[in-house]
Amino acid sequence: MFRYLRVKRQPEKAEPEPGAFSIDQLTRDPALPAALRHLNALPDNAKMRCYRALLPPDLLIQFGIDPLSWKGASGDPHARLVADSQSGTVHISAKKDIESTDAFITIELSDNSFNGIDLSLLLLSDPNSPRFQTDYDEEARPTLFGTARRHLAEEERAMHAGLAPAQVRSGLGASKQVLQHLEIFLTALGHRSYFLEPLTYASAWIFERRGFAYVRGHKLMDDIHKEFQPGGRLHASLDASTPFRQIDQWRTVRGRAWAIHDGILSAIDAQWTSVRMVKQVGRHAQVETFPNAAF
Amino acid sequence: MSKLFRIARAAEFESLTAFREFIDTTCAPLAGVDEALLYDLKLAVDEACSNIIKHGYAGMNPGSVILTIAPQPDRVVMTITDFGRAFEPSPLPAPDVDAALGGAELGGFGLYFIYQTMDEVDYETTEDGNHLTLIRRIPHSRPS
Repeated sequence: MFRYLRVKRQPEKAEPEPGAFSIDQLTRDPALPAALRHLNALPDNAKMRCYRALLPPDLLIQFGIDPLSWKGASGDPHARLVADSQSGTVHISAKKDIESTDAFITIELSDNSFNGIDLSLLLLSDPNSPRFQTDYDEEARPTLFGTARRHLAEEERAMHAGLAPAQVRSGLGASKQVLQHLEIFLTALGHRSYFLEPLTYASAWIFERRGFAYVRGHKLMDDIHKEFQPGGRLHASLDASTPFRQIDQWRTVRGRAWAIHDGILSAIDAQWTSVRMVKQVGRHAQVETFPNAAF
Repeated sequence: MSKLFRIARAAEFESLTAFREFIDTTCAPLAGVDEALLYDLKLAVDEACSNIIKHGYAGMNPGSVILTIAPQPDRVVMTITDFGRAFEPSPLPAPDVDAALGGAELGGFGLYFIYQTMDEVDYETTEDGNHLTLIRRIPHSRPS
């Protein structure tokens, strides 16, 4: 019955040419993706014109920041762009108060080795919420989001205040808005997808809700859900042996995330590593590894 | 514009039941789709997903398989997307059934079944994943 087979494979993408965009490059096939390295090699003002699209204007206005100049009412710059020429990474952050140590939004994008784009960092924090010192341990050494070392007392306070692992403040509730802007930006550059490695179980769950699928780790997420059910090995390991392994924590995304942050996955011989997610621009993958979840 | 129906599951054999049930739910109500056609749709998706599970995600914690169904008046268009290793579904010769029955290694039937049951097969590897599109026409009148 088979009548017709067509196999299409994109031509191998060429290594991006060094240097900034030229008119010649811009007039080529617009479906060919452009690298951040191309944008970064542009003059500063040209870079600013491109990267400005990454920060949602209504979010900036909410904090009194002009969306074009990135300056506050006093005329001081509240947002910062780091996009070194020769580099394939762009880092953008914005603060409510310029004296503040914390940005309310931080985005970092990088060219990856497959000529795609990785969302390396996305931090969205409510600057008006209480701060927890989970980012430094008792000896003032950086915890690197709790991955290198931990400040247990502060983590416990943060958990009881409703935060997820790796957060220092409550979330901003703007991930949908920010990711929509990111997709528009990436579409303009000619990318059909982008990738990320979620730092925690909670962030993976949020990205699922935003339409991401898994390049690696979908089965791990399924296994985690299954083993947190009553009778499962993770459920059995919620034995109150630490503040982060209380019996009811299996019921919520946050509860599970703190237990995983505390190393509970060793009970199923797994680790929270190598999870990689992908977002297809304009599409929602409909992944749901924790159905009807409460955060 | 035809409506799209989508389901995503981990690339593991346990997910095949969910894909089959999804095809039943989505395609059984369509005009002209009978039991035989439903069987073919499920067989093709089963075989394609098995290939992805066995080969595309081999050696890693499996990622997602996304099945999208776009029913149209005269055809069912199914797209299977994965993010594992790409494979080339080149037309294969019919498998040697005699050898298989004689105890030789079973295998090679998957693509053969897909080609036998679908009218069009289109495979594309892009930046946003591997996309296998399976098209089966819906006959409006079947011989009794």
